[in-house]
Amino acid sequence: MNRTLIIGVAAISTFMAAPRAWAQTTQEQPAAHDQQTPPGMVMPDPQQPATASPRPSDTTMAGMDMGAMQSSKPAADARDTDAYSDGYVNSTLPGYEMADRLSVSKVLIDEAEFTTNNQGQGFSWSGAISNGPDNNKLWLRSQGLKQAGEQLDPESSVEAMWWHAQRPYWGSLVGVRQDIGPGAHRWLAAGIEGLAPYWFDIQLTGYVGDDGRLAARLKATYDVLLTNRLIATPQLETNVYSKSSNDRKLGAGLSNLELGLRIRYEVERKIAPYIGFVWERSFGKTADFRRAVGENPTERRFVAGFRIWW
Amino acid sequence: MHDLYRVPQPAAKLGRRQFVQALSLVSGLCAAGLAWNPANAAPAIRRSEELSGTEFDLEISRIPVNFSGRTRFATAVNGTVPGPLLRLREGDTVTMRVKNSLDEMTSVHWHGIILPTDMDGVPGISFKGIAPGETFTYTFELKQAGTYWYHGHTLAEQTGLYGPIVIEPRSGPGTAADRDYTVMLSDWTDEAPLQVFLNLKKMSSYYNFAQPTAGDFVSDVSKLGWTAAVAKREMWNKARMNPTDLSDISAATYTYLCNGSNNTRNWTGIARKGERVLLRFIGAGTATLFDVRIPGLKLTVIGADGQPVEPVDVDEFRIAPGETYDVLVTIPDDRAYTIFAQSMDRSGSVRGTLAPTEGMAAEVPKRDPRAWLDPIDMMGAMGAMTGGEHDHGVVQKTEVAHHARTEYGPNVDMRVDSPRINLDDPGVGLRGTGRRALTYADLRTSGGAIDPRSPERDIELHLTGNMERFIWSIDGVKLNDSKPLHFKPNERLRIILVNDTMMTHPMHLHGMWSDLEDPGGNFQVRKHTISVQPAQRIAFRVTADAMGRWAFHCHLLYHMAAGMFREVVVA
Repeated sequence: MNRTLIIGVAAISTFMAAPRAWAQTTQEQPAAHDQQTPPGMVMPDPQQPATASPRPSDTTMAGMDMGAMQSSKPAADARDTDAYSDGYVNSTLPGYEMADRLSVSKVLIDEAEFTTNNQGQGFSWSGAISNGPDNNKLWLRSQGLKQAGEQLDPESSVEAMWWHAQRPYWGSLVGVRQDIGPGAHRWLAAGIEGLAPYWFDIQLTGYVGDDGRLAARLKATYDVLLTNRLIATPQLETNVYSKSSNDRKLGAGLSNLELGLRIRYEVERKIAPYIGFVWERSFGKTADFRRAVGENPTERRFVAGFRIWW
Repeated sequence: MHDLYRVPQPAAKLGRRQFVQALSLVSGLCAAGLAWNPANAAPAIRRSEELSGTEFDLEISRIPVNFSGRTRFATAVNGTVPGPLLRLREGDTVTMRVKNSLDEMTSVHWHGIILPTDMDGVPGISFKGIAPGETFTYTFELKQAGTYWYHGHTLAEQTGLYGPIVIEPRSGPGTAADRDYTVMLSDWTDEAPLQVFLNLKKMSSYYNFAQPTAGDFVSDVSKLGWTAAVAKREMWNKARMNPTDLSDISAATYTYLCNGSNNTRNWTGIARKGERVLLRFIGAGTATLFDVRIPGLKLTVIGADGQPVEPVDVDEFRIAPGETYDVLVTIPDDRAYTIFAQSMDRSGSVRGTLAPTEGMAAEVPKRDPRAWLDPIDMMGAMGAMTGGEHDHGVVQKTEVAHHARTEYGPNVDMRVDSPRINLDDPGVGLRGTGRRALTYADLRTSGGAIDPRSPERDIELHLTGNMERFIWSIDGVKLNDSKPLHFKPNERLRIILVNDTMMTHPMHLHGMWSDLEDPGGNFQVRKHTISVQPAQRIAFRVTADAMGRWAFHCHLLYHMAAGMFREVVVA
């Protein structure tokens, strides 16, 4: 599990650090002080209490100010908002405004696509159903790929998880994963999901399998608005495993890397046809498994499908 | 008690007569239109009536309307959207028998009227709402004069449940205006309000089709250079904030209405050369702040939220949901003038017309370009030091913000440590236009505060949210997770609001006046709805002279529904 975690954390910090580092090289830094902020870290200045008055000489817009604005530690003397009540409670009359407790259900079919590649045609899907109030939701998540002449892709799975809001942009996921297709295993799952600075959508999940294997899956996407309706979405997915599995034909270590680019057109917000291209490479033992059944460890797929939600 | 501007009674009567003439003219035109072009066979639109007296029968029912090109059902009062204008008299005790002919609970809240708590019309706080088929009788004495309005205190407000109120001063009519019109600005959607709310919950940028694009970036690079174009975006993207997030809901679903008329129907008020016309603007948008101007006319603002203010001449003013502004204009020529109200996000607009006869129209201005939020809208006073696209002229003053412990959870996406406290900023989109826009710094109540006492204590509250998840709260706590604010009877207290979000929140306290203070802490203007700009700190005084339970909330309907709402207990 440790190795999995380290790989995951390394992957995610690379992701978060990269744009920051890029921004630093492209933006003039007027104050030397800001250079002390490590790339990728959004930290309040430890010398400064949260309620400090501005220090124009040594702060920059994109540096610590924003860090303080979005940090998560209250000051020692933070107010207690309940203290204004003097023990009174809200009215109990019928008809009270309750919409802030509303349970919201959302079905997102992120990818429902036909694929065509160097080896044949197929179908792929990825989506999630969520239901619950603002900070606690039930998540059902599924993804998969079936191509002609091949078995169901070994990453095909269904997950049932409890999502809990941890931070303004991040939630945790805890639940189970059920593989689908030949050699399926059951897994305990735990992960994070959210929006990293610069609008990267991240899903990072760790798994413990019923055969003692550890695994991790990282998905990262980014929406590039070509226009407000024409949207290009680069996507990265990678899977790592602690041990090889003959049942599932997956090798230990970095198992695969998938890079995709889909361009959708939002006819309506909720309905968007798209086309795209996906490059997938399997590594190590996973690649060997593929070669053994006559498949190419590198796949290039053209995809066309619909992104639909409601 | 209040030295209100006066409208001569004969003119008011004349206005009504002309109104009837206009009504027959309009119905004539409608009939003609139907005869000529069957494709225009929209449901007949009745113009809202004007009712006066002390006893009123109001029926809330569903009626078919067509504001957008499609027929939908609206929630109407006495069969019209807006509902009838209620012309009342200060000092009278009025009786409103409100019949609910819907199949759901409803309510009517008398916005800005000082009255007993059980007459305030907030379901769950003042009463249990009006059940289907039930008639609820409101009775209250009018202790004030001026321009107000009424509206449903449920999501039905979005579907047309609103209407204007004018309370004539007890001391009798004056001589200030030849004509007197209410101008009610609102927003209409063909979608069910619950659907709108769910769309926002699932995707908070659902209605924003003006987000920065790759094309904008390329164009900025060519105009400003690579470094500046990147820097312009750096702060927003890093913070996962959208600089174009000016309005949750846009013309993508909204049709904006002026007195219930869309641009095509073009509400027209008769006004002839040399006449002084009083326009009582009412912000009845559920999610829309309107920027209003009348090209060719100077606007003299003489009242705010029903209360007279020292006259101030402007070209333009922003009106938030809940607010009212009384504006006096003098018509220089016998021609048409366009009342132009564009939404704050510049996605749409509505016009009305002042003209010597019906059927005339003047040029409709183009909407202004959509401005990006400025660093001061995100970081307050600190933002002023970082520059931004506009020169703010003055150094922004600040006060230290005291955040609540509950602001550090997942429901709050930012906090402003050094909010700006100046009131002379007209707000995003109205900065540097070359037009003189009204600001809160311009508003001064004639005659000062009713209660001259200084506040004995402060209650600081922060307006908070999570834009991405469309969660809105006060001090990070949503209504149903909160405890009420306790005011002691007759105490004079100061409420300090710090806006820790990037949206403008019109905060409305029921039952008691909100006496806005200037940045120096002195009384400035009496209001019932106070718009707090992003990263701004505002302070107002309240005299807790109204016993009972009251609502205090953001008047953006969907923010209120999402939890930016507190109950107040005066006991």
